[in-house]
Amino acid sequence: MSELARILLVEDDPRDVELTLTALGEYNLANEVEVTRDGEKALDYLYCRGEFSTRSHDNPAVMLLDLKLPKIDGLEVLQQIRSDERLKLIPVVVLTSSHEERDMIRSYQLGVNAYVVKPVDFHEFVNAIKELGVFWAVINEPPPGSVKKAL
Amino acid sequence: MMTDHAEGPIGVGVRGTLARWNLESQRIRSPILRYALSVVSVAIGLGLALTLQYYEFRDVELPVLSLSIALTTWYAGIGPSVLAIMLAMACFNYFFVEPIYTFYVSASDLPYFFVFIVWALIVAWFSASGRRIENGLRQARDHLQLELEQRKQREDEIRKLNQELARQAADLEASNKELESFAYSVSHDLRAPLRHVVGFSELLQRHASSVLDDKSCRYMQTILESAKRMGNLIDDLLGFSRIGRAETKKTAVNLDQLVREVVAELGQETNGRDIAWKIGALPACYGDRSMLKVVLVNLVSNAVKFTRMRKPAKIEIGCAERKENQVEVFVRDNGAGFDMQYVNKLFGVFQRLHRSEDFEGTGIGLATAQRIIHRHGGQMRAEGAVDQGASFYFSLPKAQDVAERTANTL
Repeated sequence: MSELARILLVEDDPRDVELTLTALGEYNLANEVEVTRDGEKALDYLYCRGEFSTRSHDNPAVMLLDLKLPKIDGLEVLQQIRSDERLKLIPVVVLTSSHEERDMIRSYQLGVNAYVVKPVDFHEFVNAIKELGVFWAVINEPPPGSVKKAL
Repeated sequence: MMTDHAEGPIGVGVRGTLARWNLESQRIRSPILRYALSVVSVAIGLGLALTLQYYEFRDVELPVLSLSIALTTWYAGIGPSVLAIMLAMACFNYFFVEPIYTFYVSASDLPYFFVFIVWALIVAWFSASGRRIENGLRQARDHLQLELEQRKQREDEIRKLNQELARQAADLEASNKELESFAYSVSHDLRAPLRHVVGFSELLQRHASSVLDDKSCRYMQTILESAKRMGNLIDDLLGFSRIGRAETKKTAVNLDQLVREVVAELGQETNGRDIAWKIGALPACYGDRSMLKVVLVNLVSNAVKFTRMRKPAKIEIGCAERKENQVEVFVRDNGAGFDMQYVNKLFGVFQRLHRSEDFEGTGIGLATAQRIIHRHGGQMRAEGAVDQGASFYFSLPKAQDVAERTANTL
């Protein structure tokens, strides 16, 4: 699965992971998702370090990033990615619980590609995640060096 | 009394002047020392004159004795100087005027005595003026000193008040930060579990709807609705707290245009309804446009909501000028209205005067609106009666009034 992962989901809450995967499952995208549970693991994945040292060196086609994360939070991960020559083209979608304006402003300042507030309503949530997954992993043409679509 | 007056202004003037000179030239306080100075200075003068005469210096006795008189007059005042004049005249007559060693006074000696007296008067005058100038200078210095001390005191006070102010500002900022981090964590951490409740209930409903009976399905539905409602409450509460924390960007706002915008945006809710709008001319006011829009959206959408059962619904928006420097805007409807007995509860957070089955809503709209109006320095009030509609009034500072005020302070 990690060989093919086009979507990197960075999310610490297992319930949110399950809901997100359920939503993506409706478009058969669930098995293209690599889940990392904190900012440090996410960076390990992107830099192919530690447990991810054996994976192929392609970047994910999109990264779904929660902001409130243990160890290294989402904004720090974003900053790190955007300041790295090899990683800075990865499309990043912030997926957060909060409507806080300062988080949004900071995210856009750091060059996020989209900012999505997770809706409380499950149908809206599922729709939002599905559309995100389909758009970024299927419709959008990712930058060079990304994992290619499995044809 | 008559005799006092008979002396005339000149007599009083001369005496007064002499008395003043006397006081002003008494640089030595003790009377004994003053008279002693008179005797000693004349004696020294005499000794000096005799010594000089012994060494064949002629005609020096007059200046030397004059010097003694001057010294006495300068330091000891009128009394001792009179004594000095008399002593000097006696010595002069005895030691230096022919026939020597007698007190014989001839008419030709009188000019010398006259010189002594005039000299003493001149010195007394100078001494008095000098003293007066000294006094003036001293007073000015004291005054300056006092002023300096007072100013220093005032500066200390100002500094203390400033420190107090800075401390309070820091306290305020700290509690504001605390509030902000509280709101931040509420918005992040409280919404997540709610989303899970909704999400998993929904999944459960999907998976188990075939095996659940009607009652269980209804329970599931209630769980879902409650969780969604709680989500709305949290969002509203956060919005409300954001109003208090956000900075206001005040400009002149065209209320006319704003009202039309708001009414147009409510088109979805008013679609298919029979509403008679009556929008009067509204003046420009001074405030934060986006915040005032929130106020109008709340009031107008309330009016739309609570006239749902009326055909036609009547909604009137207009302006009632109450004071010179304020505009008062009202939104009136012929809807459900409310009991004036509970008018104070109307603006409370999450306070509702209607059942949620009849009219949906969390009950934060009016609280938010009032908070915004208060932040603009205005007032908000309501009038109504059950089933006879409600009127909401809010006041705001006039635009031209504020423009004038800022122009005046510039």
